[in-house]
Amino acid sequence: MMRIAFSCNDKPVEVEIEEHQRLIDVLRDQLGLYGTKEGCGRGECGACTVIVEGRAVNSCLYPAPEIEGKSVVTIEGLQGPDNRLSALQRSFVEHGGIQCGFCTPGMIMSARALLDENPHPDKDEIRKALAGNLCRCTGYVQIVDSISHAGGGDENDGV
Amino acid sequence: MPAVETRMMASKLEYIGGEMARPDAADKAAGQAVYIHDLERPGMLYGKIKFSDQAHAKIVKIDTSRAERLPGVQAVISAYNTPEIRIGFLRDNFALKKDKVRQQRDEIAAVAAINPQIAAEAVELIEVEYEPLPAVFSPEEALAEGAPLVHETDPRGKKRTDNRLALGYHHESGDLDAGRAAAAHAVAGEYSTQLIQQSCMGTAGCIAEFDRNDNLTIWAKTQIPFLAQRDFNNALFAMDLRGKNTRVIVPSLGGGFGTGLDTHAYEYIAILLAHRCGRPVKILYDRGEEFARLSPRQSSRVRVEQGCDKSGQLTFRKIEVLLDNGAYTSWGATYPTVMLLPATSLYRVPNIYFDAKLVYTNNTYCQAMRGYGNPELTWALESNLDELAEAAGIDPLELRLLNCNRPNETTPMGLKVTTCGLRECIDTVAEKLAWKKIRRRSKGKKTGVGLASLIHVGGGGRIYRSDGSGLILKLDDFGNVNVYYGGVEMGQGLQTVLVAAVAEALGVCPEKVIINPTDTGTCPWDVGTHASRGAFMAGNAAIAAALQMRDKIFEHARELYPELVQKNIARKKKRDPAYNPPDFNISLAAKDGRFELRGGILFVQDAPDDPVLRIELDALLRAVHFREQGEMLVSEAFYDPPNELPDWNKGYGNMSAAYAFGSQGAEVEVDRETGEVKIIKLSAAHDVGRVLNRQTLAGQTYGALAQGVGYALYEEVKSERGRIVNPDFRDYKIPTAAEMDFPIELDFIETDDPAGPFGAKGVGEPGLVPTAPAIANAIYDAIGVRIRDLPITPEKILAALRK
Amino acid sequence: MNDFAYHRPHSVADALRLMSEVPGARFIAGGTDVMVKFNAGAPRPQSLISLRAIPELSGIELGEPTSIGASTTISDLLGQAELCERYPLLAQAARCLGGPQIRNVATIGGNLCNCSPCADTAPALLAIEARVRLASPAGEREIALEDFMSGPGQTCSPPDEILTQVLLPKTPPGARGIYFKKGRVRMDLAIVSLAALVVSRGDELRHVRLAAGSVAPVCLRLRAAEDLLTGERVTHELLARAVRAAMEAVTPIDDLRASADYRRRLVGVYLRRAIESILNWSEP
Repeated sequence: MMRIAFSCNDKPVEVEIEEHQRLIDVLRDQLGLYGTKEGCGRGECGACTVIVEGRAVNSCLYPAPEIEGKSVVTIEGLQGPDNRLSALQRSFVEHGGIQCGFCTPGMIMSARALLDENPHPDKDEIRKALAGNLCRCTGYVQIVDSISHAGGGDENDGV
Repeated sequence: MPAVETRMMASKLEYIGGEMARPDAADKAAGQAVYIHDLERPGMLYGKIKFSDQAHAKIVKIDTSRAERLPGVQAVISAYNTPEIRIGFLRDNFALKKDKVRQQRDEIAAVAAINPQIAAEAVELIEVEYEPLPAVFSPEEALAEGAPLVHETDPRGKKRTDNRLALGYHHESGDLDAGRAAAAHAVAGEYSTQLIQQSCMGTAGCIAEFDRNDNLTIWAKTQIPFLAQRDFNNALFAMDLRGKNTRVIVPSLGGGFGTGLDTHAYEYIAILLAHRCGRPVKILYDRGEEFARLSPRQSSRVRVEQGCDKSGQLTFRKIEVLLDNGAYTSWGATYPTVMLLPATSLYRVPNIYFDAKLVYTNNTYCQAMRGYGNPELTWALESNLDELAEAAGIDPLELRLLNCNRPNETTPMGLKVTTCGLRECIDTVAEKLAWKKIRRRSKGKKTGVGLASLIHVGGGGRIYRSDGSGLILKLDDFGNVNVYYGGVEMGQGLQTVLVAAVAEALGVCPEKVIINPTDTGTCPWDVGTHASRGAFMAGNAAIAAALQMRDKIFEHARELYPELVQKNIARKKKRDPAYNPPDFNISLAAKDGRFELRGGILFVQDAPDDPVLRIELDALLRAVHFREQGEMLVSEAFYDPPNELPDWNKGYGNMSAAYAFGSQGAEVEVDRETGEVKIIKLSAAHDVGRVLNRQTLAGQTYGALAQGVGYALYEEVKSERGRIVNPDFRDYKIPTAAEMDFPIELDFIETDDPAGPFGAKGVGEPGLVPTAPAIANAIYDAIGVRIRDLPITPEKILAALRK
Repeated sequence: MNDFAYHRPHSVADALRLMSEVPGARFIAGGTDVMVKFNAGAPRPQSLISLRAIPELSGIELGEPTSIGASTTISDLLGQAELCERYPLLAQAARCLGGPQIRNVATIGGNLCNCSPCADTAPALLAIEARVRLASPAGEREIALEDFMSGPGQTCSPPDEILTQVLLPKTPPGARGIYFKKGRVRMDLAIVSLAALVVSRGDELRHVRLAAGSVAPVCLRLRAAEDLLTGERVTHELLARAVRAAMEAVTPIDDLRASADYRRRLVGVYLRRAIESILNWSEP
């Protein structure tokens, strides 16, 4: 057992963990943040994507002890005060970027990480940024549109 | 069955045809939708299954003693300490296996423990001793003389003599020999399709929970809540809980694609564990179990021969299908019911022979997946048709147009086609691909175009005795419209259609329409969310229930309208004493009953435009409720479409109330040195009857196209001697955003179907039916190589180029 | 499971000390190979000693040689503009490794120590003739990367040795590099990979370093092909001979991802395309 302290969605957190736990286990089981999903446990599907120190990572491969002293942002952290969805989330809602929704939190976190680094990506850059996020429902087109719109683009930007 | 006005001749549709956002999108965007993975019940235990590691073996001994002794374990079960539960529509499968295992994923035993780690540890402690048996891993091996029997007896106990299933499908129409004789050109070919994993992002799982009266509640990842209720009630019966009931609740699903159309051994195992422990039990498959222990899409082998006369008119079609049924029977075995549609009715063909046979093997058995046999058969037919076009020296586009389906014709299967936009679909695709310009035969070329078409059910599909769908509307004092519908939202946008259809047909704002959870305890019966029937059924049921509700509302309005208007006038006069009410005979208008309800506002048609004459729906509802002999308004409809249960032995019957048509085309570029196929462009033109919601329709089509691309080029479940050797996304490659990097042109043709809600036909499955043959036909145009076995890999292309 | 301990030392010395004191310990860096194995059910060692919080192991020092800390993540490596400018071949290869989430935690040291025949950075580093610095209780040593990788999943290091730095010699002036990776889809393991680092003058090749991945038990230099091409004016015929030599030198296997035959063919195709591209020959 060890005690770790870190910042989660901009709030300080301290939890006692089993040292073999992964970050996704701590987020879901101890912090009640069930928005982050485990889709494969192998770093292949990206459903578990969260942002650590500004970088998108697969929380299923991230040993929990490593988060000590660091910041992590989950899908729950994107919301504004009073339950308001962020502009990026609203863009997904408005542009059909969501169907079954299981890949959505991970997908949005990858998009968030991309937009933080590159606020106006073209569609090619968006697709590359989503290489580690699988979706079986949407065929990706409207996901790319949603992110493009959030970055200030429109349907006619590139392919 | 009362006649139902299923087609709204609305002057202007407000919500249907628009881009309304999904009602559940906000929750999903926030990560707040609750899936099986997130659900917990008080006192819940975690179940885990011990699977066989043998494809065919006698079970000599199961020793669960070490598992039972592990602290934290609450129960360990096997077929030897639980009642036998037979599952599957042929009843040839069992929840837990006894005596022998027939496939590498057979469920031998299961554990319930206080946390998933202990459950996993306990499963490792279960020791099983096997005596391996000779096994068969292909239909050929299974049919060979002296082949070992996968099942020694049939479900009734009668001895079996071979591995052939009694289940078969057959259709003959016209005169095959005459058709052959009349053909100037004929081409035969053998085509095959691979095992495919549905690959839902949310894996399979359930929570089973008994109350103290032995009634079961199960939260299930299902598309058939009511058929599941029946299946689980049968299980309760087998568990000696006669007369006890199952309530099936469907949470948010992480995808369906057909995986939820059957009940699964893991669900029965959760039920058995829950009853044994007296506590809720959750079983959740991890990705490895999802790949290796859940049933994939059925593979197929199809032999097709088609012929045409000199002008290109099709004269006959002969189709023989062989299916590897695997060790037990699920819906993979019924793919031929849907194969019959393209077999008999894609394009106009007289003289048809169709036969499908199934064989037991020790491979994994297969279940439903989107398209359900149609992609398999269309792969063969549309590849073969291009081969025939070449033999006849006719442009494949021209050949298809020449034999194109037409509206209002009955096909050899007895499908009563009403609306049919196939010609327009084909023309659209040809135009979008610049067909005439690109298509040429020149040496050294690497790009090409190809196309293929589809026919599918679009107005439900009667594969059970009932194709019905019930819907209840319940209004409350706040003007909310509570909808209870037994169909399942799995991401396809059923809730969107429900909200739009109810709002449109009833005359309220979409924000007031509340879709309640799918729950057999509260929703009326629905056969299942399959066969692309969701929107068609939900829409028609919604319209029927809404019209009924409007009648009720207007009936009450006749009585209450005058007094409510007087209240409005009184209120206005109080604020403005100089106010003069409009010159309008309120009582007469009410008696005439010529009301309208729009946006939740009740008014009289052609009345003066004065706010006092408008009544808010919730005000009327409260007036109806809060008085002596008050009433709450509820309406219901059970929509059972005008289609027939076909005779499967004859392969005849009008299975659907409407038929979907479509065409897709691909432009590809092939690297002759590496064999890689690059898609330059896809065009998809679908006859959808009417667009109900642009956003969800496009989403469904893009998603289906991506699955079609995976089917064509990347995906294959690889099985070696019954063992799945690529049970993960590392080696089972579904398309990523990077693969879908080409322009996709979507065109939706509206043929306004008389049976469809607002004219709409089903669209859930058609999107992936013709994609693979379109791509294969484009590859042939590019480099003159014909691959007949999916997936089309670079290695297969290189091998074919070398020949 | 209950005795499992995760250590986060802050110096190489501490890491080595822990390794000698803690029973059943193994090192872990980014974890993108190792954690996958654990999640898949591989037995966890009794302890893991993380190399992620050790400042000595991160950081990039340009020079002769350029020194890359082994715990440098692939993303950080790609973010170093000058490094990528000096070693564009390495940057090309690094860009092909996994997807963004993987690159953000995977380390160059981990990629080399995992020593998969499919390792993405290895062929590029071999063509660059990288060396590795290693530290153990016995002391420090430096060896060629080629000698470090000894078999599939097998380096020449004992379990208590840490790869601390990846050392890159200066590449010859005018050198151009090309990296090809074939996967079944865009984000995939390499079915075949090929790295070429070449100095050319007209059609004459002065310096040729070629390395291939996924076609042998370890990533390897294609020396026979290099020898044929170095110091020669390239003709189609010479190139064809070099291609044949390369194809003969590799020992790919049939596995569920590809056949040996396909892999061998692609080595030849990529080698030919690499040289043609560097020489600016137009496509046939």
